Amino acid sequence: MNTIDDFVTLVRDELGLPVTAENVGRSLDEIPGWDSVHLLWLTTTLEQATGNPVSLARALEARSLEQLYRTAVRP
Amino acid sequence: MDQSRVRPGARPVTAARLLAMHRDGELVAGYRQVRHLLADATSEDIQRIGRLLARLDVEEVLQRHPDVPVVDVAITGHGTVAPLVTSLTAELARHGLLLRPYLSTFDGYVFDLADPASTLYAARPHLVLCVLDPMIVFDELSTPWTPSDVESVLARKLATLKQLVCTFEAASTGVLVLNTLPLPHRYAAQLVDHRSRARLGAVWREANTRLLSLAATHATTVVIDLDPILAEGVRGEDVRQSVYAKAHLSPELLAAYARPVGHLARNLTGRTDKCLVLDLDQTLWGGVLGEVGADGIEVGEGYRGEAFASFQRVVRQLGAQGVLLAAVSKNDPGPVRAVLTDHPRMALQDRDFVRVAANWRPKHENLAELAAALNLGLDSLVFVDDSAYECGLIRHELPDVTVVRVDDEPARHVEALLRDGWFDVRELTAEDARRAVMYREELDRKDFLTSFGSLAEYLRELGVRVELAAVEDADVARVSQLTLRTNQFNLTTERLQPADVRRRLADPAALTLAMRVGDRFGDNGLVGAVFAHRRGDALILDNFVLSCRVFSRGVETACLSALLGHARENGLRQVVGRYRPSLRNAVVKDFYPRYGFVLDGTDDAGTTFRHDLVDIVASPEHLTLTTSFPMSLEST
Repeated sequence: MNTIDDFVTLVRDELGLPVTAENVGRSLDEIPGWDSVHLLWLTTTLEQATGNPVSLARALEARSLEQLYRTAVRP
Repeated sequence: MDQSRVRPGARPVTAARLLAMHRDGELVAGYRQVRHLLADATSEDIQRIGRLLARLDVEEVLQRHPDVPVVDVAITGHGTVAPLVTSLTAELARHGLLLRPYLSTFDGYVFDLADPASTLYAARPHLVLCVLDPMIVFDELSTPWTPSDVESVLARKLATLKQLVCTFEAASTGVLVLNTLPLPHRYAAQLVDHRSRARLGAVWREANTRLLSLAATHATTVVIDLDPILAEGVRGEDVRQSVYAKAHLSPELLAAYARPVGHLARNLTGRTDKCLVLDLDQTLWGGVLGEVGADGIEVGEGYRGEAFASFQRVVRQLGAQGVLLAAVSKNDPGPVRAVLTDHPRMALQDRDFVRVAANWRPKHENLAELAAALNLGLDSLVFVDDSAYECGLIRHELPDVTVVRVDDEPARHVEALLRDGWFDVRELTAEDARRAVMYREELDRKDFLTSFGSLAEYLRELGVRVELAAVEDADVARVSQLTLRTNQFNLTTERLQPADVRRRLADPAALTLAMRVGDRFGDNGLVGAVFAHRRGDALILDNFVLSCRVFSRGVETACLSALLGHARENGLRQVVGRYRPSLRNAVVKDFYPRYGFVLDGTDDAGTTFRHDLVDIVASPEHLTLTTSFPMSLEST
């Protein structure tokens, strides 16, 4: 997991959500099919991918996927 | 450990193929293939694919594949239960089923289940999962707390649950699934003295015992015991998810819980496997019989021999509960027979098997013949083999057969076989204990048949006895099971749970009859049922079910003849029957017209036929029929 593009691919392939590098910054509520459960799974997966612990409390506060990525990968 | 993880090559193919289908937007079009692709998937892949499948539009899949069976599952509970949807979607897809989930609101289980007018009941789910977690107790405690406080909360919760179960029983035609409560270490460890900690463990387990006991007294309730799953090392909670997201059971635990629920859905839709077909060399015993001889095979002695013997005992245990056992092996028949009859350390013996096919023909041919001889669908077979070649061959040639691959570590055979509840049923019946004997008798009948010049002569000699009588309380489980297990001679494929059967027994307008059959070879037991009700001057046959074990003996003719006669004697003017086609019941498409019913109409729900009771078919001469009908019926 080196770039936000890797992250976008992960979200598309693993969650089946229609996210692109262009709209990764939009609000989570605007993503068709978004469910807060996805955040739990993404956080765990990001921890596995980066080998670093991610604060779930922080991650749950993220308003967009981009914010989540920055919380997890570039804290 | 998940054995499929050590199976080289399996994982990438499954995951990559399904991922490619997702990327190309082909999962809906290819939904039928998903089942086969998931057959070899690891637990990890099942989760992964579940997330993608859960995004599919159920109605779109149905539009594309109208005959994929849909299972409506309502999920409710105390905490966040949404993560269960992905696991369950994949588990049902593994069985060729399609999940239509109804997700309740957070912490809504009491409201959902206590109010018969709730939206949960309105969704008319086949299954209701009420996911219980330890926080239903700890959320209600104030600090500091003692084991006695926990005991009081547990007592209140149990009383509530008991009421909910009763309400459910009256308000729903589905099955309610509860689960035991795991006790988290982070609570037990808050008590610093061992005496209190032990008392907490005791009150906790007493509550779990009472929960499990609910299943004994309520036919519509299933309680899943989470202890064996936790004992395997699955963690009970992910503490961060519990604290921050109120997801109180860990994703791994929910995934493990989804598996038996998947098998329950398989059972509810009449897909429970019936026959376990085993390879012999390296599967039931170590070594190759043809090479090492009977004295050289590993069984019952030595490290590996012990492992094979314990696997055999597990197979025997399944056989004693109604699972038919068969062996298919590339071997000469003589030595195999000698091992199965004479080998002193074999836990399984010749008499445990309904059929042993030891020959050099391709295994898929043997499996197809076995299914035909037992009159079972290929989807009723579970095939176990250590050979990647044989497993691959069966998957390719007979994709409906469930394949369980064991490897060269016999100590793991048991785990590989039991990882899935292929033979899970709700309740065993007296028939289950006798099933292997009955199937063996059936094979004897077939041999007997070949010694006769004509079928008529054979049937006369067979001395078939048929008894048609009102269903009694003691028959309910078996009658329900017949509707769930029977796929061929099942006119409308209406599956009835025990509670549905009881409802019919209590209905004064309903006529519910059981067929018992026997002959010179033995008793077949309760093998058929008729579900009817009176409406005005007509007797409506809601369904007619007959086990494939007693086909072609005139049993159905005799029973229909008696039923028509009974209707006429009671002053009725007509009998109406309905046929609803399914994938497997084409054999009874012409059942009603064959016996003088005329076509009445066809709609989406099937074809209706009508009999005017003037010309009634005679009961076949070769069998003896006794009837015991209840008193005349009330009209609705």
